[in-house]
Amino acid sequence: MADAGKITEKIWSFFRFVILVGISFIIIYPVIYMISCAFREKNDMNNPAVIWIPENFTLDVIRDTVKAMDFGNALKNTIILNVGCSLVQVFSCAVTGYGFARFNFRGKKFLFRIVIMMILVPPQVISLPLYTQFMNFGIKGLFTVNLIDNMLTMYLPALTGNGIRSGLMILIFRQFFRGLPKELEDAACIDGCGVLRTFISVIVPNSIPAFLTVFLFSFVWYWNDHYMSTVFFTNTKTVALVLKNIDNELKTFFNSATVEISTREQIVWKEAGCLVSIAPVLLMYIFLQKHFTEGIEHSGIVM
Amino acid sequence: MKKKISYSKKKSLCGYGFISIWLIGTIVFFIIPLVKSLLYSFSEVTVESGKTVTEWVGMDKYIKVLTEDGKYTEYLGDMLFETLWKTPLIIIFSMFIAVILNQKFRGRTLARAIFFLPVIIVTGPVYKIITNDMETSGNNDMSNFSTMMSTDLIGELLEFLGIYGISDKTVDIISTVADNIFGIVWNSGIQILIFLASLQNIPRSAREVAEIEGATSWEYFWRVTFPYISPFILVNTVFTVIDSFTSPLNTVMERISDMRNEWAFGEAAAMSWIYFVIVMAGIGVAVMILNRFVFYESE
Repeated sequence: MADAGKITEKIWSFFRFVILVGISFIIIYPVIYMISCAFREKNDMNNPAVIWIPENFTLDVIRDTVKAMDFGNALKNTIILNVGCSLVQVFSCAVTGYGFARFNFRGKKFLFRIVIMMILVPPQVISLPLYTQFMNFGIKGLFTVNLIDNMLTMYLPALTGNGIRSGLMILIFRQFFRGLPKELEDAACIDGCGVLRTFISVIVPNSIPAFLTVFLFSFVWYWNDHYMSTVFFTNTKTVALVLKNIDNELKTFFNSATVEISTREQIVWKEAGCLVSIAPVLLMYIFLQKHFTEGIEHSGIVM
Repeated sequence: MKKKISYSKKKSLCGYGFISIWLIGTIVFFIIPLVKSLLYSFSEVTVESGKTVTEWVGMDKYIKVLTEDGKYTEYLGDMLFETLWKTPLIIIFSMFIAVILNQKFRGRTLARAIFFLPVIIVTGPVYKIITNDMETSGNNDMSNFSTMMSTDLIGELLEFLGIYGISDKTVDIISTVADNIFGIVWNSGIQILIFLASLQNIPRSAREVAEIEGATSWEYFWRVTFPYISPFILVNTVFTVIDSFTSPLNTVMERISDMRNEWAFGEAAAMSWIYFVIVMAGIGVAVMILNRFVFYESE
């Protein structure tokens, strides 16, 4: 009996290994391909001998791509706009999530339904009216300003807990705060802490994992955002936007060149563009990977 | 003398205080736009010197996009069909992987790191570029890999197993699934994470009882694991569908963006509402079906 169990265990761990390696390959493949392409010369694309390791190693492709994308400027914009918004959003969602988790008030059920609605409604449905609304933003008859191309179009929703996928983040925070022991607040209350003080000096320090997890997701989703930013911006270029438009940028960049570049060869530059665009996120992921999962896994998002 | 407010009343006021910022934001950036969007879909929208003017036209826009816009209806059909078959596969796959990743083995941390990697990439434009590039660059390993996984291998495998004469359609479906393994794996990150979190909810005592009773792993999965994670099938189904809305590969949404860029606001709004309502109806049906199989732990 025991032997049979051991053998099944052995066979299973072998299969588990095969399955995991196989699927890991599917996931890792594009990343390796990206790195491999970004450092090769375009001729290597047509060389059947080159599969992974480039024959002619070069940094020119990356240099060209960075220039074509105006990457430095895009990175600056992304940090000011997207990273800033993701930070602000974490706090606005935390405050809202805490309100839903710990207080009883009339209409709470209804308001929470709106949070669920926010998760369900795709941004495409509301982006259009949002655009016209930002075009003349303000109170009718009193003052209106055109906010299109202004960073406030992204910051205002983030500040009020209505940024990218904020419904989901409010939900995560609410679940997390509900899981915290009530005694925490009771102790603070007895010590004469006000509600806001309790939140800032007792709840927040005890919720670092949740904050970190939500921030990481918020960061990634804002970094990758190519939808909301196309709606509101015509001039400001973020990393995701320049990458989305990379075909045209490469065309303008190589306009002067006399050599024809085939679609196959273009891959070299496109993959290089992908690589530089995700490099910051990828680096962060390598170092903080554990925290992506920890907050969600250990908070026990019991619905 | 100042009237004393009761404790519970004070508490509820604090509650309003905490959600007040969100509430204002939601009215301005969610509720009003949502209502406006619905209004647009029934109107002829024109923008004159920075002001939007709407003129009620009833169902015209809906009829127009459904009967005249061939591209839209084609994409809509494709996307709905894709959601229909991809969602169950993503759910099954991510449940399977979550169960595996929850077991103890060497290299688990690395395996987890790899399986969540798509989460940081899949929502961005990078995902679209790499899918396109892998398609254009013909003879690379990935295509060999997927050719190996698709028609030939599957046909031969079926023959080898002695399964003949199943309809071409079935073979077609199986090969499409195999060809789409990449898409399924890459879109399962969060779902795996949610299932993993739900697996933490299984009490240790359940495992112990199962061991004492001599349950096999198979029985353990169906009698213990599955009932515990079944509520999350629902959550994941909803998440998968919503995620497909914002995917850079979603052709319907791209069409809607194109219409918006052509200033056809009424049409764009009608398109997004049709898509949204159909998908929500689908989710509603899925919820009803799944609810019959879901086990809720009574508290």
